[in-house]
Amino acid sequence: MKKASSMTKKLLAGTAMTAVAALGLAGCGAGDPSAAGGDKTITVGVTVYDMSSFITQGKEGMEAYAKANDINLQWNSAGGDVSAQANQMDQYVNARVDAIIIVPVQADSLQPQIAAAKAAGIPVIDVNTALSGADLSASVQPDDVAAGEQEATMMMEKLGGKGNVVVLEGPIGSSPQINRGKGIQNVLAKNPNVKVLAKDTANWKRDEAVNKMSNWVSAFQGEIDGVISQNDDMALGAIQALREAGVTNIPVVGIDGIEDGLKAVQAGDMIGTSLQHGTVELAAGLAVAARIARGENVDKKPLYTMPAITADNVGDAFKNVVTGREAFLDGLPKLIDGNLKTGNIAYEGLPGQTK
Amino acid sequence: MNTTIDTFPALQRRDWKELASGFLIRHIMVVVMLLIVAFFAYRSARFATPDNLTNILIAAAPFALIALGQTLVILTGGIDLSVGSVMAASAMAAAWTAKNAGDSPMLPLVAAVVTGLLAGSINGLIVSKFEVPPFITTLGMLTLASGIAYVIGNGAPINGLPASFGSFANTQILGLTLPVILMIIAILSLAFVMKRTNYGLRVYAIGGNRLAAEIAGVRSRNILFSVYAISGVLAGLSGLMLASRVITGAPNLGQGYELDAIAAVVIGGASLMGGRGTVWGTAIGLLLIQTINNGLDLLLVPAYWQNVIKGVIIVAAVGVDVWAARRGRR
Repeated sequence: MKKASSMTKKLLAGTAMTAVAALGLAGCGAGDPSAAGGDKTITVGVTVYDMSSFITQGKEGMEAYAKANDINLQWNSAGGDVSAQANQMDQYVNARVDAIIIVPVQADSLQPQIAAAKAAGIPVIDVNTALSGADLSASVQPDDVAAGEQEATMMMEKLGGKGNVVVLEGPIGSSPQINRGKGIQNVLAKNPNVKVLAKDTANWKRDEAVNKMSNWVSAFQGEIDGVISQNDDMALGAIQALREAGVTNIPVVGIDGIEDGLKAVQAGDMIGTSLQHGTVELAAGLAVAARIARGENVDKKPLYTMPAITADNVGDAFKNVVTGREAFLDGLPKLIDGNLKTGNIAYEGLPGQTK
Repeated sequence: MNTTIDTFPALQRRDWKELASGFLIRHIMVVVMLLIVAFFAYRSARFATPDNLTNILIAAAPFALIALGQTLVILTGGIDLSVGSVMAASAMAAAWTAKNAGDSPMLPLVAAVVTGLLAGSINGLIVSKFEVPPFITTLGMLTLASGIAYVIGNGAPINGLPASFGSFANTQILGLTLPVILMIIAILSLAFVMKRTNYGLRVYAIGGNRLAAEIAGVRSRNILFSVYAISGVLAGLSGLMLASRVITGAPNLGQGYELDAIAAVVIGGASLMGGRGTVWGTAIGLLLIQTINNGLDLLLVPAYWQNVIKGVIIVAAVGVDVWAARRGRR
């Protein structure tokens, strides 16, 4: 049923667009009611690398924003495949959507597709992962370097600037791995008394991190003082490994603020995380895309600076991300429009956050 | 009889040599395994400790189940490419059940096993009844089951599971976790079944020469169906183990595990043409892979180099095995 109705909607939207185009050709666009004002319905095509929990959250945020702002959202997941993403781009260009949002599979990809979109006059925006070497209309990116610095700083404060840490990284070569790693490195450089015993990837995965961490616990019995993980899932894997080894009181820190990560902060298993709230970040991306498609003025390179989540504000974050989600989504379109005006696109009313 | 006794002293020396080299050749993988263990023990003082051994076994457990299922399938001359995805679908089914059906650790177990059995049975039916090549059938299931895993989670991992979901993988009996015990039971019972029962004999017979086996009265379709169904159930259990250990349902769980499982079986001396291979061989093969994973972590070898080294060792190990088999025949 749901599918059928969305199909009808798409068909209707398609018919409406054809009508607009026909009228436009005839030179009397004023006759179309939906073309009145700057708020005519636009179609935005979105292609994402895969359906991670971050993206799924973000999709809900985008849908909420789209509904409130006359945006017809088209959605495709590339399932981690660069060429699938290229095909989806081609489709959007052929369909002459009003804007394309890419959450890339790979940083150095899609140049020909972006060029084709540009030739067709379609603005392209990359969100969450930066596409290198491409001529984009706008870019909405998280400040991963700052997030890395933030989590490393939390750990340094906990350790008092002294001790041994291990670092769990994302897939080697991915842009968050590089940038979060850069941030961690910046802080470590200022703390010469903290030594990195081991550093390796667990590919963002909990089940991979648990084995990696178990092996490190074996390799450095009793020497590890802290675990810096580039995301929450791997941090949770590390916590499980420590639990299995019967080791307690080793601080663990992560990034992302996924549901289980926030719970771990609440339970004291993690000293903190940085909230990368897909709902807010992707909706901001859509808001920027819509403004460009409608020819409005907007900051073309806003940075999403992840708020630090500790025991002090984890309750509020948990409400926005999990328990009070419906209400949060209801207020989201207004929040996003406000954020674009003030400049802090990561603001969501958490204690410690400023507009 | 007499002549044998007469020439006994002369033969004895040669026999001894032949026996020794015969043993080495027949158990070449054990030798390779021991060499690798010796190397890691020499390079890292922390390798040969009880704690670390436990690490290897815990990491091996989920992977052992799918490798055992894969062994049966490969013995019939087939292949099951779908196990990694079936693990993911089963884990997601279990996680969904845990999230929506309350705090019972039994229901997720049932969900995982049923999902695995269903996927395996579909594979088995299509391979045995419609005679679609196993490679194609299970390739289809690989895609399908991965899709189902995402459908169950509505496209995302399932977070916020009750603590009871972790009881399956984290319960300890006699100092060993449940998955490790399950692995040991599975290896012992399958080794027995394959060596000592009619069923085992029939699996080998089909893989060796299906036509001959059928003429001899083996119902090859039933046997074929059963190996895929078993592989599916074991993949279901394996997926639950992985998910339960870290108390999460991740739709990308087990991705690529089918390749490690196939590698374990092949390192264990099985022929992809069917009819040749043993459960013990697979056990050695999977312990070899897990030992390498663990040892390279202890030596702090970066993950990408680990892949390079693992790839080389897999091919080299099988190469040595093929060479040894040839020498043994001469």
